[in-house]
Amino acid sequence: MHSIVTGRVQYSQDVDLPGMLHARILRSPYAHARIRGVDASAVPEGCVALLPDDVRGYASYGAQIQDETVLALDRALYAGDPVAAVAAPTRREATEALYAIDVDYEELPAVFDPVEAAQPSVVLVHETAAISESDAAYFDLRPQSGTNVCHRFRIRHGDDPDVVFDDCEAVVDRTFRTAGAQHAMMEPHASVARWDNERLEVWTGTQTPFNLRGELARIFDLREEDVRIVCPPMGGAFGAKTFVRLEAIAAALARKAGRPVKVVLDRAEEFQTLNRHPAVVRVKLGARADGTFVACRIWCWADTGAYADCGPGVAQKMGFAGPGPYRWEHAWVDADCVYTNLPPNGAFRGYGQMQSTWARELAVDLLADELGLDPLELRLRNLLREGERYVTGEEMHDVHYAECLEAAARAVRWDEGRRGKGLAVLLKGMQTPSKAEIVLEEGDDGTYTIRCATVEMGQGARRAISLLAAEELGVDVSRVRFPDPDTDLVPYDTRTTSSRSTYVMAEAIRDAVRNGGHGRMEIPGGLDPDTGQGVASHHWHQGAAAAEVRVDEETGVFEVTRLHAAIYAGRVVNRPGAELQNEGSMIMGLGTALFESIDVVDGQIANPNLSDYEIPAFADVPRELTHDLIEHEGSEIHGLGETALPPVPAAIGNALGSLGVHVTELPMTPESVLEAVDARDKLSQGAGAR
Amino acid sequence: MRLRVNGADIEVEATNDEMLLAVLRRAGFSSVRETCGIGVCGACSVLVDGETVSGCLTLARAAVGREIGTAEGLAADDPVARAFADAHAFQCGFCTPAMVLTAKRLLEETPSPDEDEIRVAMSGNLCRCGSYVKIVEAVRAAAR
Repeated sequence: MHSIVTGRVQYSQDVDLPGMLHARILRSPYAHARIRGVDASAVPEGCVALLPDDVRGYASYGAQIQDETVLALDRALYAGDPVAAVAAPTRREATEALYAIDVDYEELPAVFDPVEAAQPSVVLVHETAAISESDAAYFDLRPQSGTNVCHRFRIRHGDDPDVVFDDCEAVVDRTFRTAGAQHAMMEPHASVARWDNERLEVWTGTQTPFNLRGELARIFDLREEDVRIVCPPMGGAFGAKTFVRLEAIAAALARKAGRPVKVVLDRAEEFQTLNRHPAVVRVKLGARADGTFVACRIWCWADTGAYADCGPGVAQKMGFAGPGPYRWEHAWVDADCVYTNLPPNGAFRGYGQMQSTWARELAVDLLADELGLDPLELRLRNLLREGERYVTGEEMHDVHYAECLEAAARAVRWDEGRRGKGLAVLLKGMQTPSKAEIVLEEGDDGTYTIRCATVEMGQGARRAISLLAAEELGVDVSRVRFPDPDTDLVPYDTRTTSSRSTYVMAEAIRDAVRNGGHGRMEIPGGLDPDTGQGVASHHWHQGAAAAEVRVDEETGVFEVTRLHAAIYAGRVVNRPGAELQNEGSMIMGLGTALFESIDVVDGQIANPNLSDYEIPAFADVPRELTHDLIEHEGSEIHGLGETALPPVPAAIGNALGSLGVHVTELPMTPESVLEAVDARDKLSQGAGAR
Repeated sequence: MRLRVNGADIEVEATNDEMLLAVLRRAGFSSVRETCGIGVCGACSVLVDGETVSGCLTLARAAVGREIGTAEGLAADDPVARAFADAHAFQCGFCTPAMVLTAKRLLEETPSPDEDEIRVAMSGNLCRCGSYVKIVEAVRAAAR
């Protein structure tokens, strides 16, 4: 039976090496503080403490900006910033030893709101911004010197919309907010590091083995070949296990201790390690009286917390997905990635595109209201069609937005009346540019072994890629092996993110079968950050969602009675896996829509546990949760790992909007719904009085 | 202390204030997993005298002299585990062993549960991958 069902599968947290020590991390209680001294003299014998002075000689790192050090050196930049670490024979002893470390802090002023932080003359989180040398810095970065804006991405398509809006018959201008969220994968971050002379070996749950190898090589001044990353399957990741997380601390401690060291986070620490960007998105849209879209102006502020991580990329995708799959004569976007004194925010299923989809799709419904048009009709009139150009200038191919949207509308019986119903449509980019390689080794016994850096995190990549290899090789899948990725043995791959792996590895496998077992796939492209022109996505992930709600207007409590997502799959490779990814994305989208919010008080997270921070449970799943995987003969495979998440909150928001209940902030709590009900009633009373 | 796990007596080194979760993991029962540590998520659910309990909230000492069951003790042809495998009722699989144990307990008490009964009985087990639809299908299939 499957090792997952019997519980025999071994995750990185289960890795156990002889002589291994267990480590815990000491974290700053202050959102911003000068570290005046660290005294570890009371740490008991048998424990090894790692202090700022131990790591001062190691290079700084960061996925897109080199703003991180192994431990905070002179300033702690958020409540939770690692300041020291201890390795001990047991986790318990390591935890107790943390209390023996005395840190002398001087609290400094801090900034927590991204719009405020983007202004000049506030607290500067970082003095300078050095562009990263890692493979994750794949586009030109535009840090705004002397400010907390570490990347500004812009689209300049057509004329300045601010001039054009005057000629539009209908204009909507609204600001939307989305809360920070936790990935809350069931398995926490877990890493084990071991030094073998001057060679570093790391077993870790990571979606980015080669980025991690390069970064660790730079930090410890090693050749890349002298760093080995082994990737056991992950108990969920959703973007949280990207780039350097615990591995540098584990490695530095292991070097100092002269023994292997394991670090596993507890649940509260997850909330201090990586979250989803809270965002403010202002959307201004203009249309002609007949519903033709004319101009789109979007401003995004993505709060990346105290370290940039891949936040610049998140802000860029938030920005370039903002205008949506529509024909705009004029579209300008400014997306700022902003430092604050909050825990770092990074990749999260959907990568910024939920935030801008939420804002734009609600604004489109408001525009439909202004115009007196059906929101479905308005969208269909303006959706991109085959061969048309997106606001980035790239030509769109294999275009199915209208098909997705119509399927979603059918599922909620849109034609029978639209009260309590909402729709949303989206486009979502796939990592562009990127590279993939795969090796198919033929064994003596008629089996094949796949050497591939794509990691398994529950998305079913191992199964999908094995099926693809078996198909191309013309053998039964039972003869295909796919061992855990090990950078000593597998060829380079950009990373396991952005729903790219099934598609790129399918192409690489085809190439491998043609070329003696070693296959390559390279995707060119990229955008000019100042104009947003170029190729944002080699092909686009396309989807739509529809929701139906029932609202108790006395309490603001509402129920999502029906939820449907229609996602363009092109071709489904592993049907059960594809269905699970769609259902899982929708359910995660439901959590984002209804209750997931990281609450911050004075820079400290107030709900860092799964009791106060709720994630969807059985009872939260709508009775009618359905979805489509749309396929077309001869089409390219389109990834499915996250497309169904971003449109869900917007579809639910628009369902509320159809009742005149206009919520602008995620999550849509009963309190905010009640407030919107009151606002609607006040407005209609006012109108009645006139 | 001496614990009886999956029908076998084992000797473990543990203090009186240690939880069953930590002790079982140290003894090599890695299907018992920590996610929340506060009894919310169900990933550390084990059977104690046939009842599901949270390993993170149960003192190991309190389980002495009782029958502890983990997924490691499932028979090779366990019908509930088989139903989970056939229904593809998992993604990352971290929550799966505890889901299977919880479903087994439900089906002992209620051999033919309807969807509401399944949802209520399983409500203490979280799956962040969101495999809930197929987990309900698996439990229904196991009931048949």
